Amino acid sequence: MGDTDTRAVTLAFDHVSVRFGGLLALNDVTFNVLEHQIVGLIGPNGAGKTTAFNVACGFQKPTSGTISFPKLGRGRLRPPQLAGAGVARTLQGVGLFSHMSVLENVMAGAQSRPGGGTWRAIAGLPSGVRQERLLRAEALEHLERLGIAPFAAALPSGIPYGVAKKVSIARALMERPSLLMLDEPASGLDESELEVFTHLIIELRESMSVLLVEHNMDFVMQLVDHLVVLNFGQVIAQGSPKDISTNPDVLAAYLGIDE
Amino acid sequence: MNWWRTLSRQETTNSRVVAVLALTILTLLVTIFLPPVADSELAGGAAIAIVILGLSWLTGWSGQISLGNSGFMAVGAYAAGIWAHHHASTPLIFTLVLALVAGGLSGLVIAIPSTRLRGPYLAGMTLAFSAAVTPLAQNFTSVTGGEGGIFLNSLVTPKWFEHLFHGANASINANAQWTADLAVVVAGVMFFFMANLFHSRAGRSMRLVRDNDVAAELMGVHLARTRTMAFVVSAAFAGVGGALYSLLEASVRPETFPLTLSITLLTLMVLGGIGTLSGAVIGGIIFSFSANLVAHVNSLTGVNPTSNLGANMQGIIFGVLLIVTMIFAPRGIVSLSSPLRRLWRARRPLSVTQEVQ
Repeated sequence: MGDTDTRAVTLAFDHVSVRFGGLLALNDVTFNVLEHQIVGLIGPNGAGKTTAFNVACGFQKPTSGTISFPKLGRGRLRPPQLAGAGVARTLQGVGLFSHMSVLENVMAGAQSRPGGGTWRAIAGLPSGVRQERLLRAEALEHLERLGIAPFAAALPSGIPYGVAKKVSIARALMERPSLLMLDEPASGLDESELEVFTHLIIELRESMSVLLVEHNMDFVMQLVDHLVVLNFGQVIAQGSPKDISTNPDVLAAYLGIDE
Repeated sequence: MNWWRTLSRQETTNSRVVAVLALTILTLLVTIFLPPVADSELAGGAAIAIVILGLSWLTGWSGQISLGNSGFMAVGAYAAGIWAHHHASTPLIFTLVLALVAGGLSGLVIAIPSTRLRGPYLAGMTLAFSAAVTPLAQNFTSVTGGEGGIFLNSLVTPKWFEHLFHGANASINANAQWTADLAVVVAGVMFFFMANLFHSRAGRSMRLVRDNDVAAELMGVHLARTRTMAFVVSAAFAGVGGALYSLLEASVRPETFPLTLSITLLTLMVLGGIGTLSGAVIGGIIFSFSANLVAHVNSLTGVNPTSNLGANMQGIIFGVLLIVTMIFAPRGIVSLSSPLRRLWRARRPLSVTQEVQ
């Protein structure tokens, strides 16, 4: 694909295959996510999008091929290592902690930062308290930036779905990621919320790479810089949204037209 | 910007220090007016409250269950007892730290295999541990004193404290109150540590794992390590509580830590309210009164205390209490205070929660 881009590679899929028994969920998948790039992973149901996400996050081991994060200087990562390495992922649905306030949910994004200071905290030393207060202030800033600060003290069960989605993004941002992985960010959102999300994600590109899985094609097309189309576990096309929208293979996969 | 101030004011160490200190001082004042017998019952309750708090942390914050905390108590008690038996002049604080470490280590040993287990399987594993501890203590006679246990010197009342008491039985009264005060102070310190732990990053890790382990892992929380840590802390608290309880009784005996004690601890925790400091306090208070309560019920109903029924009266009473509490206050006795708190809050300006709802 004559890729002359000189930007650093944040996430690299290199000939990745995943086999579940007789099913080849991913078949020789190769693509890159560059820094300051928004990459969309699309495809019909069962195409392997979620498997690709799970492999990238180390929830699933590739049967063959390699995953690496060259810009972060890391190879394959296991889930608890992600946050520390600078990879944040939101979950399908929302995946918030149900018994904790919105603010605490966002603060949870800072769990992986070094210097937890457990002993200082147990002893009740002022430095431990100060650290918590700083986290609280930082979490509030994220909530304010996303315009959901008034919900800070509410529990996830008591807030609208669109707000909950923003909370999960605020939580991911609290991880100060270099790569943000969004699992169906648009699902369940109305038109005006979608617009807000589009602006938000484009704004985030300034400071990180974004990889997203999405069904809503309108949303994806106006948002992403690069599209990777999966079908039956294989990459059938990748390129700019404009190229993809006219690609005959993609149209066939989506519309079921036989060649 | 009202919500900003409301939130930043919440949960400071100062408020925790004040709350724990106030309760400790209040209890110390109470010991002045209690008769010696009640003082020593209160001391026992304070020791048990520490154990309940450790269990409450495990269950309420990390979402795991343990029927092994009587075993962890025994480990702490024997560690302290064996040490104090050979080194009678060791300061109490050192003996208690030893019990804390011993309890924590036993917790670590149990936790490593336990982190692979869930629910009833975990309960079964910890149950096996607490069932094994008593026979072990009974059999290693040369170290543990076997069936008879280890006898220790009673805690000594300092002279200046004794001088405060006059009249008949002055030294007995002084000793009862001194030991009760010691126990209350130790409990106060442990409650302060736990209050801090509740609101630390480590405390948050526990709740993340309990609420949603997949998301917790994505936040960088190591699941097995976090669950192990929960066990270690819980066992360390049980170790301190068990050691304190034995030091108060001036003996360490196997029959102090039967399997049923683990169940009693769970019951007391649920009665008080899981995962809260005040719930553990309530559990400790119920424990203090339980001997008296059992005696009263036995005499009221005319049951012979040495009969089969009389000997099991505590279990019956706790069972009834548990059922009644589950019906009227499923989140424990501590939840009964929330109507009061709501009344209090109504006098203050709208809080964030209310604005949202």
